Amino acid sequence: MWPESAEVVVFTAFALAFALTFAPAPTQRRSLMFRGGVGLAGTIAIATVPTFELSLLALLVLGVLHAAVNGKQSFATRLRAPVLAVALLALALVLARAQGSDVLGRFAAVGLVAGLAAGIGLLPYLHPFDPEDPVSASPIAWFAFIGPVLAVVVVAGTHGVLGPDAGGAFGATLVGVGLVNVAWGGVAAWSTENTIAAWRYSFIADWGLALCGFGLTVADGRRAALLVIFSIVLCRLPLYVASRQALREKALTERPVNLVVAAALAGSAPFAGFAARVLLLRGATQMFWPLGLVLAIAMLLWLPGSLRLGRSLGLPRGRRALGVALVLALNVAVGLYPLPLLQAAGQ
Amino acid sequence: MLEAGAAFVAWLGMSVVVLADGRRGLALGIVLVTAGLAVIVFQGAGPIAAGALGVGGAAAALRRLTHGPSGWRVMPPGSTPRVVLCVAAGILVLWISFSATTAGDGALRFVILTVLGLSVARVLSSDEPSTLLTAIALLALGIAATVGIGSVAHGLGAVTQSEWPYIAAALVAALAGWLPVRTANVA
Repeated sequence: MWPESAEVVVFTAFALAFALTFAPAPTQRRSLMFRGGVGLAGTIAIATVPTFELSLLALLVLGVLHAAVNGKQSFATRLRAPVLAVALLALALVLARAQGSDVLGRFAAVGLVAGLAAGIGLLPYLHPFDPEDPVSASPIAWFAFIGPVLAVVVVAGTHGVLGPDAGGAFGATLVGVGLVNVAWGGVAAWSTENTIAAWRYSFIADWGLALCGFGLTVADGRRAALLVIFSIVLCRLPLYVASRQALREKALTERPVNLVVAAALAGSAPFAGFAARVLLLRGATQMFWPLGLVLAIAMLLWLPGSLRLGRSLGLPRGRRALGVALVLALNVAVGLYPLPLLQAAGQ
Repeated sequence: MLEAGAAFVAWLGMSVVVLADGRRGLALGIVLVTAGLAVIVFQGAGPIAAGALGVGGAAAALRRLTHGPSGWRVMPPGSTPRVVLCVAAGILVLWISFSATTAGDGALRFVILTVLGLSVARVLSSDEPSTLLTAIALLALGIAATVGIGSVAHGLGAVTQSEWPYIAAALVAALAGWLPVRTANVA
């Protein structure tokens, strides 16, 4: 088990604990405990099993179980993306291991990225989404709970499988897919009518940054990706869970707390997202400075969408307010001093 | 020659799974794929791995034989695209396995690529839970078989380690058919 994946498993465990502690109703808490516990066990299995085949089998089981839980979409509809992801990753594994021309390695690299995108639910394989679905049954579970561990395992695993040429193709494809998701997610989070859908697109935009970080072959890129994943799992996901009640009541408020939450979601200083963006821009500039320029421009897309999402939180009270305060404090701490987190992950 | 025959049987079995909608047809497909896969895996990974796949596939076939739409329902009206898919996939995979790649385990590559490709095609094109769970069981067996790709030499420890994916896949295949599935929950 790589230290990076162990750390991401800890993030997801914290996110589950947060959701259980601050879930508004006891009935939701029981359901969340069962589903979240199964999901957490699955992510631990993906990260800890000794071979990539076993990780794929764990992912397949998790995908089938997630498709079978109660939701608005049919089993068949929800099953397609995880199965496609598993098959693409397995196909890529076969091509990477087979002896032949260098082109096979490049196809393997593209297959790995395509499988990863399908597994997380990013473009070009967006999972079917219904705003009325509970969080645990919706694609948000893939974005913020299963996807982070899957991404770390796939990216770490490719170093032993792909050669230098195919490794370069893997990184370039990650950056390309990441930029597409940054642009699509940023614009859609701003312009879509449904606020729950806007939250979903904001996850996609964040994932775009994480993929760009993974694609950069410098240390700063990997560090940035880890911090982006931290902010997805322990900033965006808890704030989304906290905003569900206000979203159902369609309560929009413009208080100082909404502005602070918007700043955290936009990745402004002093939150963890800001440190991630600085590292990402530094890594991109080291690799190819026009990429840094494109990323800097794309990062401006977070502003309007985040202001909208911040308002959708409503005015948190009681236990929910405590949860939001904890999330913001944690993100400030990591944003100001991310070194322990990065060192624990071996970065 | 044995491997070539086993690979053909596995392709035939996957084609039956793609072409059939009834439980007998699906069960026959599972049996054929499992038999072909187990014979090829036996050559490279030994009896425990092949036995695990065989048991997992047999359990999946038995479960499928008792649950799902009744009868064979092989090639119902409108099946021409499925026939074309099976033939085209077979030719493409044959080319990739024996021409585009050069190592000696071509039959294994052929079976794995066939199982992965046609299982996904079945999942993407069907809404029937019994068909979907059949495809998932076969996909699990196909994933386990990828362990044998590109392996040149096995130490004792490596062999022991490499058998776990086969056992895990057999469990997934055997249990997949028991999953309670809500067919539709659309408001």
